[in-house]
Amino acid sequence: MSKRKITVALAGNANVGKSVIFNQLTGLHQHIGNWPGKTVEKAEGTLYYKDYVIDIIDLPGIYSLSTYSLEELISRRYIAVEKPDVVVNVVDASALERNLFFTIQLMELEAPMVIALNQMDIARKKGILIDVGKLEELLGIPIVPTIAIKGVGLTQLLDKIIEVAEKGRKRCVEIKYGKEIEERIAKLTEMIKQINYHYPIRYTAIKLLEEDKEIVEEISKINPQIASFARNLATEIEEIHGHPCPSVMTSERYEKVTCIVREVQRITPPLKPSIEEMLHDLTTHRILGYPIMIITLLSIFYTVFIFGGYISELLNGIFYGFESSISGIFGVGVVGSLIWSIMEGVIAGVTIAIPYIAPFYVILYMLEDSGYLCRIAFLMDSLMHRMGLHGKAFIPIILSYGCNVPACLGCRIMETERERLLAVFVTTLIPCAARTVIILGLVGRFLGIEWVLALYVFDLIVIFLLGRLAFKALPGEPAALIMEMPTYRIPHLKTVLKQTFFRLTEFIKIAFPLIIAGSFIIKSMEVLGLLEIISTMLSPITVAWLGLPAITGITLIFGILRKELTLIMLSTLLGTMDFSIILTPTQMIVFTIVTMFYIPCISTIAALIKEVGWKNTLLITVFEIVFAITLGGVAFRILTLIIR
Amino acid sequence: MEQRKISNGQEVPLTWLREGEVGIVSSIRGGYGRGHGARWGAEKRLMDMGFTPGTEVLVVKSAPFRGPLEVLVRGTRLALGRGLAEKIFVVKKRDV
Repeated sequence: MSKRKITVALAGNANVGKSVIFNQLTGLHQHIGNWPGKTVEKAEGTLYYKDYVIDIIDLPGIYSLSTYSLEELISRRYIAVEKPDVVVNVVDASALERNLFFTIQLMELEAPMVIALNQMDIARKKGILIDVGKLEELLGIPIVPTIAIKGVGLTQLLDKIIEVAEKGRKRCVEIKYGKEIEERIAKLTEMIKQINYHYPIRYTAIKLLEEDKEIVEEISKINPQIASFARNLATEIEEIHGHPCPSVMTSERYEKVTCIVREVQRITPPLKPSIEEMLHDLTTHRILGYPIMIITLLSIFYTVFIFGGYISELLNGIFYGFESSISGIFGVGVVGSLIWSIMEGVIAGVTIAIPYIAPFYVILYMLEDSGYLCRIAFLMDSLMHRMGLHGKAFIPIILSYGCNVPACLGCRIMETERERLLAVFVTTLIPCAARTVIILGLVGRFLGIEWVLALYVFDLIVIFLLGRLAFKALPGEPAALIMEMPTYRIPHLKTVLKQTFFRLTEFIKIAFPLIIAGSFIIKSMEVLGLLEIISTMLSPITVAWLGLPAITGITLIFGILRKELTLIMLSTLLGTMDFSIILTPTQMIVFTIVTMFYIPCISTIAALIKEVGWKNTLLITVFEIVFAITLGGVAFRILTLIIR
Repeated sequence: MEQRKISNGQEVPLTWLREGEVGIVSSIRGGYGRGHGARWGAEKRLMDMGFTPGTEVLVVKSAPFRGPLEVLVRGTRLALGRGLAEKIFVVKKRDV
């Protein structure tokens, strides 16, 4: 007998332990990618249980099924169009009311459901008791209480999933609105019945009354009469209630939820505040919160970059040990150096990806899972707002000073695409460790610390201005901060490590081909003697506009691979470490300004592609090249006036 | 946090409440988005998070430098950007 295949979609609010359930169930059979044509992450996994092959799709975490964000659109469309056999709604038992609001919207999608009532332990700690049987009865959906991080209830959950999948769809209780709304839903469903549309009929009617953007647009295309009829009905409801129709319906939904919760939940608050509560008060304290945050972030920064630097050095040493053996086999001629260039690409990838990104991912997920990330966002929101970002963007921005690559990948924590793009753009402008090497090694060493500070201040001003500019230029509304601050909890290590592992593999898949190809192309150009030609070709820019020696054209090209190469190559090509012989102070500063901004390095470009897609990456890259050259030229002219 | 005198039954923005005070949501103002059929702005978002009329909101804390508010609504702790909080109008609940 062949195994039966079941498709399961995991749906739920953010912070309910959905990813823990996903990782507990799927083990190492996972695939992380993007939803087709989107930059929203798609996680799939397979599980073999009894006689079944169970495919699990982790839908993006959401707050409600209305159309705000891409994540929400993707989720509801998946449920309606792909029709998974079972939708598992992960519900946080410690925040039942908010979670059930989402549940009743899922119910309107009419998919067969199972509820995993998760975080029962946290609920118990808060003194919350839930009558599971009663809740099952009121919703008409099977419920399995779970504590995912301890693995409690997961086999029962699987058995229930199979039971529901085998029995086919059982209608859950239909949530009724007020009489005047139900009448109008009935009128609309009559009309919708006559067209062919992928969302359930009643759901379509409800969403039309709620003026849901996507559904109104699609229905208008199919049959504009239905859409205008719905608009009239909505206006009638608005006149009856004195509030806009969408608000009326949301209120009614919440009323339903409140009624259900009142029947099934008893709370006896604990007498003394828990450790989690005290920790929350301390970490969001108006004064103490900040030093705690700075110390935490500094130690993270320190750990990632000390650890990363150490491992990176170690790997570098090992890899460069191969150089002589490769030249031994292939000779030092054209073939040898081309093969070595591929190796060099691999080295660049390995020495960045593994030592810096892996620990960074681990820490990022720990911060997120534990709940500290949103406390930092709470503290930093006001400052970040001035740049059009909200508090969460602070983390990638800080990490950028170490390395832009993990910082770009970390911009994933931003909720909307617009904010992700803004945050990513700002992070690429921040001088990473490699650029710091150039600033210190060139300007610091030959011109003194005051110029270094001046450059950093200048950089901050530029970042701030560009951030504001991008904020104004990008279409769409700025997302104001509204986020849940869940109870502190100890992160689930297994989930964190798995998430790190799969994200890292995903990154390597994108980045390595790019890095290796880049390295190969540049090396080929060198071997073919094209670099001199290119530097001559670039001389109108480098020499005439920027006032730099022509040779810097070559070093700037190498800098695309790794920023510190601009300086290393300069000393190799010039045959000296004493840059003051060949560069004037003005040239040093102009050179540094250009390297600070001119292009994200190739690893960062790979990270950008992963997070914001090809088009935006190209846009950012081209903008930064043009910007750096313009800025460098202007700086050259101004500096010539100041420093003789 | 703004310290203002609030008379009984007066509708005020949530940001007018002091730490530890409870307000009952009366309305959400502004933020209809642009144009007709685009009512997916701040109001809808706030309602979806549970700020429907009649709901009790406890202001727990306010972040410094005009930062976000920490509020307790429907048993959940939320961080709420000040711009959004100003759109929520409440009637202060009398101290008990």
